[in-house]
Amino acid sequence: MEQKIAEVIANLCGAGLEEIEPELALFEEGLLDSFAAIQLVMELEEAFGVSLDMASLPRESIATPAAIARLIREKLG
Amino acid sequence: MLVLEQLKFFAKTDRIALVNREETLSYRELDARSNAFAAWLLNTFGADRSPVVICGDKETDLLCCLFGALKSGRAYVPIDSVVPEGRAGQIIGDVKPRVVVDFTGRMLDCDAVVLSPADLAPLLGGSAAPISRQYWVGDAGPAYILFTSGSTGRPKGVPITAGNLDAFCRGLLPYYPADGGVVLHQVSYSFDVSGCAVYAGISRGLTLFTVDHAMTGNLQELFAALGESGLTLWVSTPSFGELCAQSRGFSQELLPRLRQFLFCGEVLTHTLCDTLAERFPAARILNTYGPTEATVLVTAAEITEEMRRDSRTIPIGRAIDGVTLQLERDGAEVTGEEQPGEMLILGPTVGPGYFGRPDLTEKSFFTDPATGLRGYRTGDLCYQRNGLYYYCGRADNQLKLNGYRIELEDVEENLQKLPNIRRAAVVPVRDGDGKVQYLAAFLLLREEDGLTPLKRAIALKKQAAAYLPAYMIPRKMTAVKSFPLNVNGKIDRKALAASLEGTP
Repeated sequence: MEQKIAEVIANLCGAGLEEIEPELALFEEGLLDSFAAIQLVMELEEAFGVSLDMASLPRESIATPAAIARLIREKLG
Repeated sequence: MLVLEQLKFFAKTDRIALVNREETLSYRELDARSNAFAAWLLNTFGADRSPVVICGDKETDLLCCLFGALKSGRAYVPIDSVVPEGRAGQIIGDVKPRVVVDFTGRMLDCDAVVLSPADLAPLLGGSAAPISRQYWVGDAGPAYILFTSGSTGRPKGVPITAGNLDAFCRGLLPYYPADGGVVLHQVSYSFDVSGCAVYAGISRGLTLFTVDHAMTGNLQELFAALGESGLTLWVSTPSFGELCAQSRGFSQELLPRLRQFLFCGEVLTHTLCDTLAERFPAARILNTYGPTEATVLVTAAEITEEMRRDSRTIPIGRAIDGVTLQLERDGAEVTGEEQPGEMLILGPTVGPGYFGRPDLTEKSFFTDPATGLRGYRTGDLCYQRNGLYYYCGRADNQLKLNGYRIELEDVEENLQKLPNIRRAAVVPVRDGDGKVQYLAAFLLLREEDGLTPLKRAIALKKQAAAYLPAYMIPRKMTAVKSFPLNVNGKIDRKALAASLEGTP
């Protein structure tokens, strides 16, 4: 799962896969803005077959690859 | 000026002009506070009518300052708080204001009197007699000057007169609800689509429901606020509509009183129209089109089910009252159905030209010898079918990203100011509908930086933030050893864009 999340993020911000570390701060480092975040959520929904709703997601829940992994695990149950 | 007459009229009622988080501002308060600001400007600067620069986001008093400037016969120049200091400084240097109202708390380096919110409070709270019409901005006087992306890397000023705004209101108001209601006030003051709330909305006595930058960036907070808003009229770019529609909670249940969407500023997609038609059965969708140079918008179309089912793009509609449109190719008028040509706009909404740039003005603005009407060449390619206009692209490198108007050269010039960038080529990456998804920059470095691609992108984005607002900073920053060239020896942007195809 972590691998797949890293792939989505690497693709989205044009980085190498090996550089996406679990605690990379996606918003603070300027890698994601609100429009890129929407794109990220849509890619995650497709990749994991889960339903994520931006309006009910606190920003912290997608702020780092590790946080995203926790979120997806929770959604997958 | 129509909006000032109407403000005076509604000030005699108990209507609310603005809701901004916990604050409300009545028409009476807006009228009184703007009178106080106008009186201060008139007393302090007398006959010197230099424009007033206003830096901020969506502060309540910003609206009072803006109408105060108009009542005192001065244009205002809005600079959004997201604009970096250097770029704001360039604008202030061009405009040479005597006074800058600054809600951002930045230490702006300029010769003008700088008013902070603390300076403003006693000034706006003071009592002042109504400002007589003789002081107001006259028909031919500029009401605002908006600075847009310019192809030289410096923002370009577009003055719009009181007469232009009156003509805009007369053309748009027939599409507005007859009486009362709440209009979305999300669009930045530095983007003229905000005029749909500020000018047309106030002229109709509507309540402006404020959504500031913080709320736009936090959907959870935004939806909670929208749920309490009582919104009846939605005004935004299609991109902001899409951002909201991505959440399933964006529906008639959230906004039970909503009766109309008004979109402006970029291409409206079939996907968004279909989603909204399904989720908001009680609301109609209005698509509009227009450049800043001809005052917000010059066409409108109510999107019908038939248009949604049609395989062609969503139409931009027909000319609003008072506006004449013409398509032109190779110097001749195009009259045939489905024949593309450059859109020419003629009539009272066309502005005087570019601020301090007679060379640029002469290229795009003209006066029609036959009718005496002021005209503007948009550089937009359109065609006509069954009395409706359809947009089909740009003739140059200007584009719209999430509603923002951007010249690619502007981004490139500013990236080349960074210490380690020798040359930058910026390309838009589009989705299947041809809509720009994001910008990607390809960079020739001066010297090896020893950084990984991600670390380099993070560092460059931070440096770029000193020169460019966030929406102009490319999402992807890729260092290259050389640029692919086309047959003319120029950078092959198509090849660069193609190298990114298929990536989100």
